[in-house]
This record gives sequence, C-alpha cells and structure tokens, in this order.
Amino acid sequence: MRKILAVWAAKLSAIAGRMIGKKSSSTPGTIALKICPNLIRILAKNVEKGIIVTCGTNGKTTTNNLLNTALLKCGYTTVCNTLGANMVNGIATAFAMACDLKGQFSADYAVLEIDEASARRVFEHLKPNYMIITNLFRDQLDRYGEIDITVDLLNQAIDMAGDVKLILNGDDPLTAQFGDGRNAKYFGISEQVLPQIDETKEGQFCLKCGHEQKYNYFHYSQLGDYYCPSCGNARPHIDFDATDISLSGAMKFKVNKTVDIDVNYRGFYNIYNILAVYSALSVMGIETGGFNRALAEYKPQIGRMELIDLGKPVILNLAKNPAGFNQAIQTVMLDKRRKDVIVAINDLANDGRDVSWLWDVDFDKLYDENLNTLTTTGIRLYDISLRFKYADVKVDYITKNMKEAIKRCLSTKAEVCYILVNYTALYPTQNTMLEIKRELENGGVENV
Amino acid sequence: MSDNRELNIIHLYPDLLNLYGDRGNIACMQKRLNWRGIGANVSTCTNSDHSINLEAADIIFVGGGSDREQELVCGLLLKKKQELVDYVEGGGVLVAVCGGYQLLGKYYQTASSKIEGLGILDIYTDAGDDRLIGNVVLQSELFDQKIVGFENHAGRTFIGSHTPLGKVVYGRGNTGDSGYEGVVYKNVVATYLHGPLLPKNPMLCDYILGCAMKKKYEDFTGFEPLNDELENVANKYIEDRFAGEK
Repeated sequence: MRKILAVWAAKLSAIAGRMIGKKSSSTPGTIALKICPNLIRILAKNVEKGIIVTCGTNGKTTTNNLLNTALLKCGYTTVCNTLGANMVNGIATAFAMACDLKGQFSADYAVLEIDEASARRVFEHLKPNYMIITNLFRDQLDRYGEIDITVDLLNQAIDMAGDVKLILNGDDPLTAQFGDGRNAKYFGISEQVLPQIDETKEGQFCLKCGHEQKYNYFHYSQLGDYYCPSCGNARPHIDFDATDISLSGAMKFKVNKTVDIDVNYRGFYNIYNILAVYSALSVMGIETGGFNRALAEYKPQIGRMELIDLGKPVILNLAKNPAGFNQAIQTVMLDKRRKDVIVAINDLANDGRDVSWLWDVDFDKLYDENLNTLTTTGIRLYDISLRFKYADVKVDYITKNMKEAIKRCLSTKAEVCYILVNYTALYPTQNTMLEIKRELENGGVENV
Repeated sequence: MSDNRELNIIHLYPDLLNLYGDRGNIACMQKRLNWRGIGANVSTCTNSDHSINLEAADIIFVGGGSDREQELVCGLLLKKKQELVDYVEGGGVLVAVCGGYQLLGKYYQTASSKIEGLGILDIYTDAGDDRLIGNVVLQSELFDQKIVGFENHAGRTFIGSHTPLGKVVYGRGNTGDSGYEGVVYKNVVATYLHGPLLPKNPMLCDYILGCAMKKKYEDFTGFEPLNDELENVANKYIEDRFAGEK
C-alpha cells in the first residue's frame, strides 16, 4: 500500500513539476522515498534479466542512454534514468515513473547512470549485475574532495555489489585499477589518433609504486597506452578495442578489427562511449548485429554538441571539467569554418562552487585564425574573462545576457557559432536558443 | 630601468602538486612581469629532475596536491630542507598554497600518520573532521584591496605568533574559527587560498613580485601600474557577493 501511495505521489509531483515548467527529475523520487523508503528495493526485484549501472566522470549520460536505446532496439523493456538524475532520488524517480497506477512494474533490464559519490547509497537499495566505469577526471572538487576519495568510494561500492561484472576503460589507469582481482573486461582505443599534446594529467604516477608513468601513446588527459617502467604495472589486456579510426566527417572505426562502426557523432570521446556500450552488450550476451542502427537512432542528450539552426548553425556543448572542456575545445578547433564562440561559466552547487578548474583547461588552444569573436558570460564571467586574458586570448564581449550574446553572433560573418557551457548554464542556454528560434520563425518579432 | 631585468621563478614539483589549477599563479606572475618589460624565467623542479638551483631563485612557488602526492613531495623536499631554510631566512621569496602551506610547518598530523614538515615556519597542522570549503574574503594589512579566493582543506593550521596573511571577512581560514588566514613571514606568503589566487588579486601578485624585485635590484622603487580593470572587477565581484553590505 505504501508502495502504491509512493508511486502516485511521485507521478503527481512529476505532473505538477511539468505544469510549473520545472525539469527536476529528482523531486518525485524524494517524495516517493519519504512515503516508502524501500521503494527501489521492492521494484528492483521485478527487473528480470539484469541491472546495469554506469559510473564515471564524463560520458555517463551518453553511455547509459545509448545502452538503453540499444536494448530497446533489441526488443527488451527497460527502466532508465534518461534525464540524468543520478543520485538515490533520481533512481527512485525512474522506478516510480515506470510503474503503472496500481504500482505494478516489470522490465527486462534496469539501465542506470549513477553518480560516483552516490553509488554506495544506491547499492544499499539494489545490487547491479553489470557496472560500466567510463573514466575518472577532476570534477567538482569541492563536492568530492580529491580524486583519491572518489576512488575509495567506488571501491567500497563495488565491494557492496558483490558478484558484479565490471566493464572498464582500460586506457584510464585510475579506472582500470578497479578490475584488480575482480571479474572485469576492458575497452580501449588501440592506436594513436590525436596529436600528443601536453595537457593536465591526473594520476601520472603509477598507482602501484608511485614512480612516474610512461605512455606509448596517449589520447587525452591520462587516457592512453600507459605503463610503469619501474614496477611493470601497465594498461590491461583490452577485450574490446577500437582501431582504424577516422574522425574527418562521420566518425568511423572498427571494434576488434572486425565490427564496423559508422556514426554521425562529433567528438573523439564518443568513441569511448560507443565502445563502452558495445562491450556491455557483448558481456551481457546480447546480439550486437543491429548496433549501427541503434546508434543512428540515438538522440543525443541536450547540450552534447547539440545543433540548433538559427539561420546559421549554433552548436551547444556542455563541459563540466578540464577533461571535458579540453575535449570540447579540440572538437571546436577541428571545425575549420569561421566561428564565433561563447563560453558561459556558472558556479552554482551543481557546477561546483569552485571555479579553480578553469585554470586547468587549455583555453589558449581555443584561438586560431578561424576564431571570429569570443564572448564570455555566466555568473563567473569575470573569472573566465581573466582566464582568457592570461592565456593571451582576446575576449571581444563580456556580457551577462546570453540572448544578446547569441543574437550578436547571428549577425556576424562567421559561418558557425559554438556555445560552451557548464552544467547550470545548459538548460537556460538551450531555452534561450529555442526562444530565438521561435522569434525567427515568427518573422523576427520579439515575443516578450 | 627595465632594461634586461628578469626574475627567476621556480615552480616546485608541478607534476606532483598541481591539484587546483596552481599554474594560474605562475602564469599570472609571468605575465605581470612581462607586461612591464621585465623577463620571467620559469623553471620547474620535477620528480624526474630534482636539480634546482635555489641560489638563482628569485621566487619559489609550491602548490597543493592530494594527501598521497603531498607526502611524496614532503619526502623529496626534506632533502633540501636546509637550503630552503637558508633561502627564506636570507629574504628569498616563497609562495606556498594549500598543501604547500602545510609543508612549511613543523608537521601535518593526519588521522593515520604524522608527516614531517620543513619547519620553515613555526606552525603545525592537525587534520580536522570535516573539510573547510568555500569562497573566502580577507582583509590584509599589506594593502587595501581585499584578498579573495577559494579554500578546500581538512587541515587546521595553528600559526602561533606568526603574522597572518589577513583577517577573515568571509570564509573559514586557518583553523575554521581563529578568524585569520595564512601566514606572512619575511618574504614568505603562505595561504590556503588555492588555484588561481593571484589573477584575481593583482595587489597581492604585485606585492610578491615587488618583494623579489627589491631583493634583487637595489634601485627598484616600485612597479608602473597596469590596466587592472578586469582583475579589479573580478576581485570586487567576489567581495561584494560574499562580504558585501548585508
């Protein structure tokens, strides 16, 4: 009875939330758990074939939702926190929403992305059968303390999960270490693809002996074919590898030299997301024949190099930490069209209050002859402007008004506009873009 | 007077201690010298190359890192302890941030172990139960502009009779409740305010650079001002937001 009440309350709360235009996907779960603290535990029992969770600093949402799309495409039923609410409450929301009004629920698979620091708390409610870890980078340090703390939290969570099959990024020494002595498969990119630039690396010292680690080649941040010359710790055997990579135009590569992947995604890092999903499906024993079709049908989440046509292409990208930002900058610079760039930095709780990380991003690389104008905005517009000043990159406009910034870019001679934002700037920016789109469709009349 | 003048800046173990964008402080010192026509040679002492020449240093910078990395650096620096003590006592400029600040003291007592420090400052640090995290605004006696930054530390640092860097106007500071933050001793500036401390604090950066110039060039009388409009707006924004009129 409590269960039904909890489900109803969650559903009502979601409807109420939508009516007032709130996109919070954790509030319904908060309410449901208050009414029925065992809700997740009870409902998770009705997941028939398996529970797959995805953790990691970057790429969680894309990996999780792509996996969900692939499973649906294969005809399975799933429960999935597609909106990215990834703490205990968000998981509760996903389960409650999947119930019918009698509180009945069943699914073949639960496909859940989980915040690294919340994994222990979530695993008190459900035990995953499979766990994907994408990577570990510096992220929101003021929430997690230091990266060592995140590693500890994940180790504890994995131990709680017991008999879980791990699917790990073998190119990341910080992630690969979770497989030691455990049941793990690894994915990785087994050839040099990008120029070997020097950027901030986390964990450049061997995790086993503290000696400086070396690379045969690396991809970005600390990801690559690493080894320790001192103790011999090295990148593990890669069970699912990507080679024959082409990034010009559509993204193409081969998995294990045999399976061709051909998708219209942007961003080198998406190779990892796709590999993670392919690996998971293989480990789960699911046919991967229709994988390219599933990839083609997957709609990227808001703000993952999301293209909106405002008379000229405007591309919105979320980047929350140095690794993500460096990747975004690299993707922007691979586009040789003349471009305007807007960077928005906020410092609300979900962004991390500390914006020190801006100094770990290689913003000097954002400059080349194709950069038309650069605009800074967001709550911390002065911090990001200063960052550019000390990177010798000229900021053309500093403004608190995103709409004004976008409109100015639409009137320049640049062919494309990129907007790089951190977390809490994402939804407001997308709203602003859609608002401008509507105005354009209404003949440019201001819709005040 | 700016002909051929230059400062040698040594960044200690950026490969080990660079947790919160410490390189912003190096970039800031370098730029503010260059903009005035003064050279800045930045060299690093790393885990694979320990051969720093402290004799030639005008400014030494040491940043913050995770506990594991900090312990590694501590072991490495203890070998240079006497050199560093002589450097500081002789008026050498040393800037230490976060973990680097703790290293200058007698010890850092964590929950599990006692890490011996360099003993350059008569201070010590105990690990607290929780981390002190957040924006900080300080009033220093060195200049009028507030010092603004961000702290994130579990250590509680007791500075005894040392002069603090500033009075806490907003935030937690050395121990969370002492009301003071950091230490200024001779030409040492040590603080928990990590990462890009200097870019938003042009007065503090110029104070540090000025100390080094004075020591190296007897005829140095002061810097020509730079266009710090953006720096000052960024500084004032933090002051107003966190320590503004209630």
